[in-house]
Amino acid sequence: MLEQPTVEIMGVTKRFAGHTAVRDLDLSVPRGAVYGLLGPNGAGKTTTIRMIMAIIAPDSGSIKLFGQTKRGRELSQRIGYLPEERGLYRKMKVIDLLVFLAQIKGVGGRAARQNALEWLELLGLGDWVDRKVDDLSKGMQQKVQFISTLQHDPELVILDEPFAGLDPVNTGVMKDVVVKLREHGTTTLFSTHIMEQAEKLCDFVCIIAQGAKVIDGPLGEVRRKHGGNHVILAVEQGLDSVRNLLDDRTLVSKADRYPQYAEIELAATGDPQRLLYGLVEAGVNVTRFEIAEPTLNKIFIDLVGRGAATSAASREVGDA
Amino acid sequence: MRKIWVVVQREFLSRVRTKWFVVSTVLGPVVMAAFVFLPMSMASGGGRERSVVVLDATTTGFGTRVTDMLNMRAPITATRMELGLEQLEHVADSLATAVGLKELDGFLIVTDQTVADGRAEYRGSNAAAQLDMEIMERFMAQALLAERLSDLGVDPEKVTQASSIGLDLHTVTIRGGEATEQSGRTTFIMAYFMWFLLYMAILLYGVQLLGAVVEEKTTRIVEVLVSSLRPFELLAGKVFGVGAVGLFQLLIWAITARLLLTQREVLGRMMGLEGSAQAFPLPEVPISTIVVLLVYFVLGYFLYAAMFAAVAAMSSSEAEARQAQAPVTLFYAIPAVVSLMAMLTAPDGALFVALTLIPLSSPISMPGRWVVSDVPLVELIGSILLLILGLVVVTWIAGRIYRVGILMYGKRPSPRELWRWISAG
Repeated sequence: MLEQPTVEIMGVTKRFAGHTAVRDLDLSVPRGAVYGLLGPNGAGKTTTIRMIMAIIAPDSGSIKLFGQTKRGRELSQRIGYLPEERGLYRKMKVIDLLVFLAQIKGVGGRAARQNALEWLELLGLGDWVDRKVDDLSKGMQQKVQFISTLQHDPELVILDEPFAGLDPVNTGVMKDVVVKLREHGTTTLFSTHIMEQAEKLCDFVCIIAQGAKVIDGPLGEVRRKHGGNHVILAVEQGLDSVRNLLDDRTLVSKADRYPQYAEIELAATGDPQRLLYGLVEAGVNVTRFEIAEPTLNKIFIDLVGRGAATSAASREVGDA
Repeated sequence: MRKIWVVVQREFLSRVRTKWFVVSTVLGPVVMAAFVFLPMSMASGGGRERSVVVLDATTTGFGTRVTDMLNMRAPITATRMELGLEQLEHVADSLATAVGLKELDGFLIVTDQTVADGRAEYRGSNAAAQLDMEIMERFMAQALLAERLSDLGVDPEKVTQASSIGLDLHTVTIRGGEATEQSGRTTFIMAYFMWFLLYMAILLYGVQLLGAVVEEKTTRIVEVLVSSLRPFELLAGKVFGVGAVGLFQLLIWAITARLLLTQREVLGRMMGLEGSAQAFPLPEVPISTIVVLLVYFVLGYFLYAAMFAAVAAMSSSEAEARQAQAPVTLFYAIPAVVSLMAMLTAPDGALFVALTLIPLSSPISMPGRWVVSDVPLVELIGSILLLILGLVVVTWIAGRIYRVGILMYGKRPSPRELWRWISAG
């Protein structure tokens, strides 16, 4: 029997005054997976996440968590949530704040305190336990935020744009956290518009734009489905020297061009070997020739379209 | 429910452990002590001396009699200056200059006409001081009476005897059909004090809600909070938490007040104010009054805290919140001041009674009314029930606004948007 998906969204729609933020969305997050919710700003990612957390309610459709229809708040002890806009009580002591955040999830005081102390030690904040949040640097405060999301050992972790505003060090920390969570068997759902990260971390992806799902599934499958023949090409003399090849529409259907590098999508009748032969014949020095699956970035742009991406991004962030 | 308690604890502890709380809790009793000991020190003769010149243009011994009378009781020192009618204005002018130079407080002009028809004139820098003038009038009236009796042939000795008995009107408040130990003036002071205390306390703690809600919005922590708490749980926790701080502080003050009042003899002696406790009787504060005070503080606080929370939820910054709370504060202050005026002038009047029943103004006015007059139990209970009803309605509306507003940033919602927030399912 198939295991229950940790998060199941069925036919969910959400309208705000003036526009539809989420349109008839279906989504399923398998247990233990790292699931990427991808889309440009304004696509409906944050709205979807807020509906999962029951911070706002859908106009239609249903959401199940751990196979139950209980709302996010009632299951808060099993869920860790890091919103896009993060904040802390500035005048509280670090330890008091962490214990408070755990307690409102229903964790007992003593257990909360122990967990918090362990995590603080782990992330190098052991000396700052009794200090006021205000006294910590921004990077340290971000670590405190991570801790508040994870300290109660949740089964499901939801991160809204987790890498936003992180410096390289904390980006590394966040990445390690996601990897560790996966090893631990925790289900992780995170939203982002940075494809490179999603590509490296996700088992499953769902791309949404303007409130509607564009494609979803295991990452490899999405790549293959959207795949077609793709070739990554780099040429020493520069691409100008092989322009005629690239303009041949029986061979190349699309090319994402840089001065010495191109991501090429072959035409339906195109054959990578023919391209290679054509390059060699042209006498250029091929420094790289790779038959590849498309990058997530490319898939995204192709599916969502540059026009859609920019028009969505220009809408208010608050509707995302 | 447990979650609400967690929030209450946080709100309570984070406020009680601050310097602000300690300072304000200490200041309260200091102010109260001033209330208690200043009158005592004044009664034991600390009052300023008034120097008065009696311009005696009488041809009888009336001027002397007046001067003697005025000198009988501190704090007036009177000196007599005999002159003729024609010199009056001239001397008056130079004396006026002396008053201007603070060599003198004022001067009294008495003539033969004074005895005939009671007309006299006082010119001085303290002419506006009601208490001073009352004293002066009283003594003059006595002198006048004595003089007239003399003229009518009453034995001068008997006149002196009769006129040296001062009048001491002892006012006693009747409560519940029984006379209490409390004088009228003391009752009034206490009513005013209660009004003031409630006014400040409700406003102070209500406004705390404003700051707390806005802070959660501006730091964005509210989003994490509502992923674990229902907005109403969060709001309730904050309101109770802040209210608990207020109640705690009031309790400390109440205990201190009681101590000060019951131990004032001892404490007064320690400060060198002997036996003055008798001279200035202080109000007794029956338990029923304290209960009424606390009930109205709690209900009034909840009412206004809800309004302030709603206003804060509509704002996106501290500055905006400060602007937005102005109407609420006015809404609160105007009925409060009007009820004070009504209490002072017509405590049994229809206006004041109405104000003690309307939920907006009853928290501040009813306790005062309870002190100064007999409030029928029916009216008291009615007032409380109405207040609770108003409280429930306002809290419900505020909860709706809060729930939506705390996650909204940007322009302040228009009335139509607000209505949508309130009526949304």
